[in-house]
Amino acid sequence: MTQAGLEALFLANRARLLRFIIAHGGGDQAEDLLQELWLRIAAAQPGPIAQPLSYLYRAANNLMLDRYRSAQYTARRERDWSDANGATVPGISDEPSGERAMIAREQLRIAEQRLATLGARAAAIFRRHRIDGASQRQIAAEMGVSLSTVESDLRKSYRAMIDLQKDFDEA
Amino acid sequence: MMSQPRDNIEEQALDWLIRQREPAFDEWEAFADWLAADPEHAAIYHAMAAADERSAALFTAPSPAPIVRRAEAITPRRRIGRRSAIGLATAAALLAITSYGLLGPGSSPYAVETPPGVHRTVTLADGTRIEMNGGTRLRLDREDSRLALLDHGEAAFTVTHDADNPFVVKTGDATLRDVGTIFNVLREAGVTQVAVAEGAVLYNPDGEAVRLDAGRTLRAVDGEDHVVLGSTAPADMAGWRQGRLVYDGAPLASVASDLSRNLGLRVAASPEVAARPFRGIIMLDRDRDRLLAQLGPLLDVDVKRDQQGWTLTARTRAQP
Repeated sequence: MTQAGLEALFLANRARLLRFIIAHGGGDQAEDLLQELWLRIAAAQPGPIAQPLSYLYRAANNLMLDRYRSAQYTARRERDWSDANGATVPGISDEPSGERAMIAREQLRIAEQRLATLGARAAAIFRRHRIDGASQRQIAAEMGVSLSTVESDLRKSYRAMIDLQKDFDEA
Repeated sequence: MMSQPRDNIEEQALDWLIRQREPAFDEWEAFADWLAADPEHAAIYHAMAAADERSAALFTAPSPAPIVRRAEAITPRRRIGRRSAIGLATAAALLAITSYGLLGPGSSPYAVETPPGVHRTVTLADGTRIEMNGGTRLRLDREDSRLALLDHGEAAFTVTHDADNPFVVKTGDATLRDVGTIFNVLREAGVTQVAVAEGAVLYNPDGEAVRLDAGRTLRAVDGEDHVVLGSTAPADMAGWRQGRLVYDGAPLASVASDLSRNLGLRVAASPEVAARPFRGIIMLDRDRDRLLAQLGPLLDVDVKRDQQGWTLTARTRAQP
C-alpha cells in the first residue's frame, strides 16, 4: 500500500478512528489527536503494509498509550518535585545514570526470579511471546503443548510481571 | 450498564494486551467496543499496558550484541582453508569438494541455479522444500536428500524433520544442522547470515555449536573469529518469499543487494550511503518502475539510473 493509499484509507476510516480515540479517553482533544495520528503515520514512511487498517488502529493505540505514559511521567515529576523540593531539569532524570542502571539490573533480577516461580515452561513461553514476538500458535508448535496451555501460561506470566511493576511503583 | 468488579476488568484488559501482541491481531473494532463500554476499561487498560511496557523494557534493556567466540577446535581441513589467502571462489570450490568427499563414493551431485530476479522452489525426496531467491546457486545430491550446499545467494529451507538424520546446510565456513525448522540462509561476499523462523538450527555443531531458536539471527564474516547474534520477528524472516523485505537497521548496501537479487536489476549503494541503516518494509511491487520511484523517499536517497543499473546516492535536494 502506498502513502497515497494509506491516506485514502485513513480518510475513509476517519470516523472509526475518531471513535476509537474517544473510547481511549481522548475526550475533547480527539480531533487534535486524530491529526497527530496522521502526522505520525505520514512521518513513519512505513512503506507498503500487509494489514493497513490494523496498522492504522495499532498506530492509534500506540498514540494513546504514549499519551498516557507521558501524562504519568509528568504527574510523577511534579510529585517528586514537591517531595524533594530540589532542582530538576525537565526531561532529565535526577538519578545519576549509574544508579538508574543499577536499579534496572536489580529489578530485572527480581523479575527473573518471579518468572521462575511460575515454572520453566511458563517463563520460556513468556519470553518467546513478549520479548521475541513469537505468536501463540508458533509457541504451541515449538514446545509441543496445546494453544490453551500457551494462553494460560501467558495470562499467568503477563499478570505476574504487571503486578511486579505495580510493586516497584509502590516501593 | 452495571459496572463490573475491578478484577474482571483487569482480566479482560490483560486478555486484550496479550492478544494485541500477536502480529496478526485484527479485532480492533471489538476492542474499541470494549473500551467504549465503560471509561474504567480504558483507565485500567492504560495502566496495565504501561506496566507491561516497563516490564518488557527490563528484559530488553540495551546491551551490546551478544558475541560468541569462534571455537578453536575446528577441523584441520577448514583451518587450512581459512589461513591460506585463497579467493572466495576457490574457497567455495574447496568446500564443495571436501563436503562431497564426506558423502563417499555413492554421491550423485547436481547444481540448481537461479538468475537474479527469478525465484524457484525445489522439493527434495524427503519433502524438504527449498525456496531459492534470485542469484542463488545450490548443490544437492540425488543420493542424499539431507544435505545442501549453498554456494552463494539466498534460500529458505522448510525442513522435514528427522531427528535421526538431521538436515544439514553447508555454506562458507558454516555448517547448519536443523532441529525441526524453517530457516533462511544468505551467503554473499564472504558473509553468512542465518535467520530461524520456526524450530531451531545448530550452527557449526562440531565447533561453536550455537543453537539458534526461532526469532534468532546469526551473522558470520569469513576469517573473523566471532559471530554476532541478533533477533528478528519470525514472521519477517525470509519475507522475500512473499515479496516483502523487512529491515531493522540493515545497512543500505545490504538493502541494495537484496533488491538486486530479488528484482534482477543491478542496484548498488554509493559509498556515502552504503553504511546508513534502514528500518522499514519494502514491498516488491510487480511494477518495477513504480517500486524504484517509491524507493527514493522510502530510503531517503536519490535513485539514479546509469548504464550498469541503479545507484542509491545521498539526497541532493532539500527535504520538503
